Amino acid sequence: MLGAVFLWPLAASVLASLTRDGEATVAHYATVWRLYRADVLYTIGVAAAGTALTFAAAIPACGWLRLRAFGPVEFLLKVPLFVPFVVVGHALRVALSPHAPGLAGSWAGIALALAWKHLGLAALLLLGAFRGVDEAYLEAARDVGAGGGRLVRDILVPMSAPALAVSGILIFSSMLASFSIPLMMSRGGGPQMLMIDVYYRYGQHGDFATASALGVVAYLLAMGAALAYARRLTA
Amino acid sequence: MTIRLLILLLALAVPATAAGRLNVAIGADVNVVEVHKTVLGPGFAQTSRDTDLNVVGTGTGEPASRAIYTKLKAQADTGRKPWDIDVALVSMAVASQMVKEGLLYRYVPQLKNAGLVKGAEVKEAFGVAVDGYVVPMFQNQIAIAYNPARVAAPPRSFEDIVAWARANPGKFGYNGIKGGVSGVGFTMGWVYWKTGQYKALTQGPFDKTKEGAIREAVTALREFNKTALITNGNAGTLDALNRGEIAMGVVWIDQLVAWKNEGRMDATITPVLPAPGLPIYPLYLVVPREAASRDLAVRYIDYVATPEVQARAIVEKFGWYPGVDPDKVLPLVSARSRELLFKGVSAEDLARYSRQMPIKEYHDLITLAYEEIVR
Repeated sequence: MLGAVFLWPLAASVLASLTRDGEATVAHYATVWRLYRADVLYTIGVAAAGTALTFAAAIPACGWLRLRAFGPVEFLLKVPLFVPFVVVGHALRVALSPHAPGLAGSWAGIALALAWKHLGLAALLLLGAFRGVDEAYLEAARDVGAGGGRLVRDILVPMSAPALAVSGILIFSSMLASFSIPLMMSRGGGPQMLMIDVYYRYGQHGDFATASALGVVAYLLAMGAALAYARRLTA
Repeated sequence: MTIRLLILLLALAVPATAAGRLNVAIGADVNVVEVHKTVLGPGFAQTSRDTDLNVVGTGTGEPASRAIYTKLKAQADTGRKPWDIDVALVSMAVASQMVKEGLLYRYVPQLKNAGLVKGAEVKEAFGVAVDGYVVPMFQNQIAIAYNPARVAAPPRSFEDIVAWARANPGKFGYNGIKGGVSGVGFTMGWVYWKTGQYKALTQGPFDKTKEGAIREAVTALREFNKTALITNGNAGTLDALNRGEIAMGVVWIDQLVAWKNEGRMDATITPVLPAPGLPIYPLYLVVPREAASRDLAVRYIDYVATPEVQARAIVEKFGWYPGVDPDKVLPLVSARSRELLFKGVSAEDLARYSRQMPIKEYHDLITLAYEEIVR
């Protein structure tokens, strides 16, 4: 099953990216280097910014929920899990365009939309981790005068570090491969997310080989994150 | 793309060999799919009893046409016959590629309306001889749209556009080359204007020494872009015009008309076709080489190419330019529809400034230069 749905298409893509008219070549990777290397960095940057934004919002919110369980807020925090990517992109574009058109089409706008969408996943993972921290540690800290902020910063976050790292890797990988939100929000010029470049090479030029090379590069980036994830799991 | 192909596969899963079944794949927006489902299909069924029309839309833009190409190419490569698409509506680029690869049936000479299929765009597309293989369903013209309340004098030339954009930074918008074909068309029009090489770029033969002039033109476009707003796609330009974010932009006339008809667009936004012109980019009706219902497919396209049908379904109902000989279609259209059709862009403007896309080698050279120089 794994071979049919994953390994075979992957092998076909890698092969397509390394051949031209039946001859082996790295020309498609040269095209990626020449035209899209800035987009590779841009994609990493947007994904990193989106991940940072997600955690900036999710850690305080989940910390607060760990200390004072409140169902309605927890439900709202998880709502983005059920909202499709395209809808998030469209909604943010519609909401931002009239008031902040510069932000709507910028890297910051894309990072913001990605962060909003991934907030639900982050909440799910972080709440689980924070709730796994023994209440005794929190009580002990409270006894010596620690407030809510200190409890989150000095108890919950350090004790959930492995879970936070895994969540970060999963969210970062998902953002690297995002397509719908950049498609809905980004401008037709300037740096682009890698999946947009894949779509452009194939959709506009019918250039399956360079599209495959871009896909392999994106796969390698995600692989780096996945390896870190696997290490965490086996550590 | 995978999702588009899967939808296409499921929709066409019923064998096309059933008597009178016609599988029609539309590589265009839902409104074009609806025309086939609700107007052209039922109209054709009246003239050809027992016809079961199965219309499938594959999405919008080039990828929609590419999904159709990918499916037919796969069937050709695997040697499967017959193929399960009988009629396809595809872009100029994809149609030319399909002709080049021998995937299409040369059917136009069999049409009763063959004499109405006229124009340079039905003879050659991207340097490929498509004569006999294609009938434009309607003509799709790229134009400049402007808001009369904010643009005192509509631009009559590219010089006017540059001067206006310089005086109004950020108020001219187009979608670059990654946001849709209107931006690609504007880029081609810009290169025609700057190089003065329209004939050579559209008729070939390919001459690599023209690369310098092309790159110089694209470098000038990079400077122009500093005064322009690069929008998010064809719809993004219309949206920005509608919201007032920009006051002038590059649009598809058919899309502008469709949005106005649906009440989604400020009715005062007006198109204009500046000198030396912008490309036309028709969607072609084609018949795959091994279509199961080839004869029925030819009869269906013949029906669509009938002047009465073109007048009623294409011009009157949707406000699109006719795909076949306008001299035969327009006399059948009401005076009001004619006025709406040519508001801003007259028939004379179309005749003088409607341009072809360049041959494929120059097209690729120009888009590559854009990616390298403008980004």
